[in-house]
Amino acid sequence: MIRFPAISRNFSRQWTTRGLATAAGNLPNSRSPIVAKLKFFNSVTGSDELIPTYRVLDGVGKPIDGAELPEIDEKLARRLYENMQLLPTLDNILYNVQRQGKISFYMTAHGEEATIIGSAAALASDDEVLGQYREMGVLLWRGFGLDNVMAQCFGNAEDTSGKGRQMPVHFGSPKHHFHTISSPLATQIPQAAGVAYALRRTPGRSSRSIAACYFGEGAASEGDFHAGLLLASTIPSPTLFIARNNGFAISTPSTEQFYGDGIASRGPGYGIDTIRVDGNDVLAVLGAIREARRRCLDQGRAVLVEAMTYRVGHHSTSDDSFAYRARSEVDDRKRIDNPIARFRLFMESQGWWNAEEEEELKARLKADVMKAFKKAETVKKGELGELFTDVYGGEEPWNIKEHREELTGLLRKYGEVWEPWRTELARFKNKGQDLLKRPSDS
Amino acid sequence: MHTTKFTARVAKRSLAIGKCRRWNSTSVDPPPAGGHLPSIATSQILRTTRDSALRTPGLSFMDEDASGPSTTIVGGRETRKMNTYQAVRDAMSIALQKDDTAVVFGEDVAFGGVFRCTMGLSEEFGRERVFNTPLTEQGIAGFGIGMALMGHTAIAEIQFADYIYPAFDQIVNEAAKIRYRSGGQYNVGGLTFRTPTMSVGHGGLYHSQSPEGFFMGASGLKVVIPRSPIQAKGLLLSSIRDPNPVIFMEPKILYRSAIEQVPIDDFELPLGKAEVLVPGSDLTLLTWGTPVYHCETALHMLSSPAPSLEPLVPASVRSAKIELIDLRSILPWDVETITDSVKRTGRLVIVHEAGMTAGAGAEISAEIQKRCFLKLNAPVKRVTGWDTPIALQYEKFHIPDAIRVLDAIVETLTY
Repeated sequence: MIRFPAISRNFSRQWTTRGLATAAGNLPNSRSPIVAKLKFFNSVTGSDELIPTYRVLDGVGKPIDGAELPEIDEKLARRLYENMQLLPTLDNILYNVQRQGKISFYMTAHGEEATIIGSAAALASDDEVLGQYREMGVLLWRGFGLDNVMAQCFGNAEDTSGKGRQMPVHFGSPKHHFHTISSPLATQIPQAAGVAYALRRTPGRSSRSIAACYFGEGAASEGDFHAGLLLASTIPSPTLFIARNNGFAISTPSTEQFYGDGIASRGPGYGIDTIRVDGNDVLAVLGAIREARRRCLDQGRAVLVEAMTYRVGHHSTSDDSFAYRARSEVDDRKRIDNPIARFRLFMESQGWWNAEEEEELKARLKADVMKAFKKAETVKKGELGELFTDVYGGEEPWNIKEHREELTGLLRKYGEVWEPWRTELARFKNKGQDLLKRPSDS
Repeated sequence: MHTTKFTARVAKRSLAIGKCRRWNSTSVDPPPAGGHLPSIATSQILRTTRDSALRTPGLSFMDEDASGPSTTIVGGRETRKMNTYQAVRDAMSIALQKDDTAVVFGEDVAFGGVFRCTMGLSEEFGRERVFNTPLTEQGIAGFGIGMALMGHTAIAEIQFADYIYPAFDQIVNEAAKIRYRSGGQYNVGGLTFRTPTMSVGHGGLYHSQSPEGFFMGASGLKVVIPRSPIQAKGLLLSSIRDPNPVIFMEPKILYRSAIEQVPIDDFELPLGKAEVLVPGSDLTLLTWGTPVYHCETALHMLSSPAPSLEPLVPASVRSAKIELIDLRSILPWDVETITDSVKRTGRLVIVHEAGMTAGAGAEISAEIQKRCFLKLNAPVKRVTGWDTPIALQYEKFHIPDAIRVLDAIVETLTY
């Protein structure tokens, strides 16, 4: 059924402002000029060229010709650099910790430090962030703290993200305006449109806050990507979509993910202002996201940024990426296009950094991470009864109550004699006594 | 879903045309000589007087004085004759009026909705609060979740329950689990999905479904199905204000056919509670939504069968006292009321339109069998749609109509 724009809502863009009708006129449901020449097209750039990639620093940290650096002072630059360095420090230790079986799972952000930290720095600290799973750096930038990171990965009693219920790296913190990560890919994309619409309707935040939504280029193949961009454009809301195009979705190279010009080419199809940026150039990311955020707020509409980067690490600890790509390819990328090294060279050229400080920083970060790790390692899991809480708000349904009581009965019967439970109970705070001592059960 | 939506509109139009020739699955053809079988129009279950409406069990008025307790004072209350879609509209109007964060959205809701449930709401509250979305069910669900994450009240419409499946991931993996997975830090309690459900006489495969059973295992979610205008208004207002995401399934054949005097004030009916409509001691008849009326008809056919049915209804069962219960909430369901009833009656027949295998009746019969094992005098019987898709020209033989309910009652009583 053809839907006519005549009853377009009052806050949406009127089709009539789009382009100019030619003398040949246009169809009644469109402002598209009528032409007599049969011509197919396939690029959004108006030629056969690809969408360009915005960059300000070259591979050795020098501003490229004509580049305008985003406003940045030494203090901000040092903070960017420290946070970029913190990610691999954390990643290396937690990756190895997983390899030793101390945590069940982990996902590194190797190679994407500039995309994550550069964008985090460009957002306001209370912009609502909806991430995929490789964006821990945003939380770190906002002061989430290493202890909270460790507590979540260990799922111990101090895990504020989710009481040990979710897999490692599924962080969340309303205090830091970071919505809890979930595993199903792309579900956060239409949710971000709803979050942004709610922000638009919230007094005090309507002209101040945006929703920033991160996802990988693989997730962008999900139907929810289509839904999210479509909703944020037709029901205008300040939603900033940040695609991390790192070349791989687990083993699937992006060449098998799409045939078009990446993710950026899709933005214009939804009527969304779009830019592609060099995701390994932290200053380009900073500048692009700042401008994207400004547009979100000024226009009250969605903006799309595609950050081109490379997933240097394995997809996760359950993945050996050398099964589907050459080790030399990864080594080359690490050497030639390292976002941290690139920014370090820039810092040095400004006289903001030197080898001595580099050593000091690396040692300090490693010590901080190890300290948090050692602390988290000794903390017990939460109370076993938390298995049953938070399923519902308000009155707890009978089935949840009964299931809790059934487990309690089984614990009384087998808790001491069934070895797998006995061992496991010892790892919980109060060893399950919160359940065993419940007065309500019969 | 291009053609699908077109079909939806055709269905809607023919519904409107069928307004004066009310389709009634409970009538047998030819009608009995006596002609006194209740239909939806003459149902005793519907409350057609002000007095009976105000005495609806469990009804509590939510008065303007928000700090005060809810009240059951009925004196001075007004009622208005409404059909189900008008009652649904009335509930949303109250929700929008009392809660500035509340918004209503979905496909075609701005002009009033394909079933008229949102008539005039966009004019009254503005396009910012009552608006159309693009045709994307997963998007509608995700968008609603996003709004609810920010503490806003999101009332989303899925045009037909048959089209809720594209949103299944958002509903089951996201909405239902957000409070739990975030350790209680985030929730989407402000989210309600409204969706028309059940058969309509000519809906075919994709305008007839009853998908409540698919959501019954989605802990964290609530599923509610009203049977009448009063129920629709009270249960919808409770659903909108419940601190959990709720799927509110509206039996679409009742939109125009079920008419009651509905209190015009703001009132709620409790979620998670079944309602005993007809008390009895010999058999428990449990159902929800449209089949409530088929069950009522079956009870009349049992006590006074038409001459053609007399040989098939033994005299010994005609005076049986059947307890008719409307479950109302599918998740969580009211195990206590059903267990108490079956412990008294010793017999249970469950009626629903969805197919039998892994339908909601399967869950309920398993649980009741566990709780009432020693009290049961007959196997729990399920009268449901067949395990087939809902074929257009075969609907009268697909749905659990009054004759099938009657047969199940007789079989269970004479087991």
